Parts: sequence; C-alpha cells; structure tokens
Amino acid sequence: MKFHFEIITPEKTVLKDDVDEVIIPTVNGQITILPNHTSLFTQVEQGEISMINNGKAQYLAVAGGFLEVSKNNVILLADYAVRSEEIEVSKAIEAQKRAEKVLKDSQEKVSKKDFALAESEFRRSILELKVASKRRKVNLPPGTNI
Amino acid sequence: MASLLQLKRRIMAAQNVSKTTRAMQMIAASKLKRAQIAALSAKTYSEKLSTISKNVTKKIAQKNIHPYITSEMKNEKTMLIIISPDKGLCGGLITNLVKEFLDIQKKEYEYIVIGKKIESKIVHFSNNQVIATFDFGTTIPSFETVFPILKIIDEYFIKKQVSLVKVLYSSFSNIFSQVPKTETLLPISFEANENSTPEDYLFEPNITTLLPSLLKHYLEMSIYRILLESFASEQASRMIAMQNATTNAKEVIEELRLDYNKSRQAKITNEILDISNIQKEEDN
Repeated sequence: MKFHFEIITPEKTVLKDDVDEVIIPTVNGQITILPNHTSLFTQVEQGEISMINNGKAQYLAVAGGFLEVSKNNVILLADYAVRSEEIEVSKAIEAQKRAEKVLKDSQEKVSKKDFALAESEFRRSILELKVASKRRKVNLPPGTNI
Repeated sequence: MASLLQLKRRIMAAQNVSKTTRAMQMIAASKLKRAQIAALSAKTYSEKLSTISKNVTKKIAQKNIHPYITSEMKNEKTMLIIISPDKGLCGGLITNLVKEFLDIQKKEYEYIVIGKKIESKIVHFSNNQVIATFDFGTTIPSFETVFPILKIIDEYFIKKQVSLVKVLYSSFSNIFSQVPKTETLLPISFEANENSTPEDYLFEPNITTLLPSLLKHYLEMSIYRILLESFASEQASRMIAMQNATTNAKEVIEELRLDYNKSRQAKITNEILDISNIQKEEDN
C-alpha cells in the first residue's frame, strides 16, 4: 500500500511519486504520514523531509509551506524545496558567506528589505548544508557554520 | 530623385535599425521562454493553493472569520492596481491597457500603478488619485516585489478605506494575443462547488492560526502569478512588434536599394551620352 506524494514550489514541481512513508517537520513537531492517514491540514516548518520508498530513504530540504493530506493524496506546497542529491554545497557555502556579510554590517547601510532577504538566504543555506552533510557525507570545509 | 550619397546614407540607417530591432527581438524571445516556464509553474502552484484554500474555507461555519474573506461592503471605494511594462516598444500592449483603464475608471477608484510607462497617463487621467507607484523592472519579477505592494493593500483594505481590490493587467493567452484583463483580488471569494461535500479536516494546530497565513499566502501568490503573466505578455508583445519592425526595415532597404541602383544607372547613362555627344561634335 502506497500513497501519492507531491511537492510543488512556485518554481516547479519538485517531486511527484507514490511512496510508503513520509516524515515532515510541521509547526507542531515532526509527523510521519503513512497510507490511509486521516485528512489533515497543517503548516510546514523549515527542515528536512524524509521519504521512504521500497525500503530506500530519500531526503529533501524544505523551507516552509502548507501540507494537505486527503484520501491518500498528500500535497506539500513549499516555498522552496530541494533534494539532498541536488544541493550544490559550494554554492550554498558561498550564499551563506554573502548573507553573513550583509547581516554583519547591517543597521547602517543595509535596507530592511535586503536584511530580510539576507536572513532568509542565510537560513536556507544553513539548512541545505545541514542536510547535505548529514545525508551525503559531504565534507564541509573547516570553519563552516551549520 | 535623391542624390546617390543620400540614398546610401538612408540604406545604412535602415540597416542599423533592422539590426537593432532584430537584436531586441532575440532578447525578448529568450526572456519570453523563461517567463513562460515561470508563469506556467506558478500557475500549477497557485491552482493547488486555491483548491486547498477552497476546501479549508468551506469547512468554516461562521462568516467573517478573516477580513480577507468578508463580504460586507462598507463603502464604494475600490483600489485598482494597474500593471504595465517599464519600457515601451512592445506593440499595442500599453495602449490597450490605457484604453481598458479609460473604459473602467470611476470616480471612487484609487490606483496603485506598477510600471513607468503607464504612470504619467494614469496620473493625468485620474485626477491624482494614485496612491503609490512601483517600477516593474526588466527582468523576471522576483517574489519579493510582492511584499511592498501587499503592505499597501493591507493598509487600505484592513482599515476599510477600500472595500474592493482589483487588478488590471495584460493576460497572456498565447504569443500572438495579450488581452487586458481585470480580476478581483480582495475580498477573496471561492465559488461554492455544491457537488463535493467538504471532508473533515484535522487542523494542526488549529484553524484560526492557520487561516490567516494561508489566505495571506494565497494573496501573495495571486499577485505574483499576475506579475509573471504580465511579464510574459510584455516579452511576447515586444518579440512580435520587433519581428514586424525587422521585416518592415528589410522592405525599406530593398526599395531604397532599387532606387539607388536606378539612379546609379541613370548617372552612368548620362555620362556615356555626354561622352558620345562630345565625340560626335569633335568628328564634325
């Protein structure tokens, strides 16, 4: 018994598959969804999604969104989502450094909008690095903050 | 007939024009491709979001649970958001928007204008009822552009200074046709679908905390989708306009070249005539 799982972001449909089990971080903590789950609507937090299919696990980094479960149909509307295999570590490190710089010399020069942008970029890059280092055994350069 | 030098200059000018328009056409084509992909994927997302929001709001028994879906009309005031490109040279796109604006404008409308090109016209025609203006930009609009617009909408709508928020933009039906279209953004209304009975959802943590962020996100996405669609329309319209301009320039070049060759031939014939006349006289 499997259920249908979809992750859609404003940019693209990240995932569309039949799966056995999904673990999702929500505002009320992590939840596991198995087939025949009751209809549910909840808000998703930034974090890591684990998806188990035929005994094999896959991981994704997700940055908030909404989750709807109804009749073995699970749809996650995410602001942003990326599979762990597709995370570009060097790019994430670069983005983190860039954002960090903006956050450091804040207040005086940086506008509110830029600050908020940098903050979300910073969070996202940390998340990506965390998932990548945990799941792909990627060696991060020393001194990287995660 | 113009002199040879003049004709030559005009040919050069037309060639330059055709080069420029050709380049602009290609730029628009490449931008259009990306814009179409972005608009399409945002569409799937916002369609799903709208189905979910529909399901969820149907579950709520009491009305007026959130200011966004209230149905009471306090006053006649309406906010109209007009979205147009920053740059011209995109065929009849902006003219059509202005025409549509003149058709639907009313005394009790107030405006938010996005796009430099249309700004002055709206200000002129609307007796200075413009609340705010924004730039549209020349690249694919990023999601962040939505927030300042949303902030103003919120200020006016939540405080009941306006009871309706509409948006006028050029909708993208295909590459060859972009039609001005008006959509109502607020209050959000989901058409009741009587056939399907809503399921019993479990809301976590609870509906009163979830609904505001869901509706807010829905509104953000609606605006973003419209921005993307406007951008695709702009690029498509510009591509076609520039294609036509290139064809026209080519025609002009051909005509001028014909003139040029004719007058060149005429000049040579005249010279030969002159020479042979002189020869004749000398022989006599």
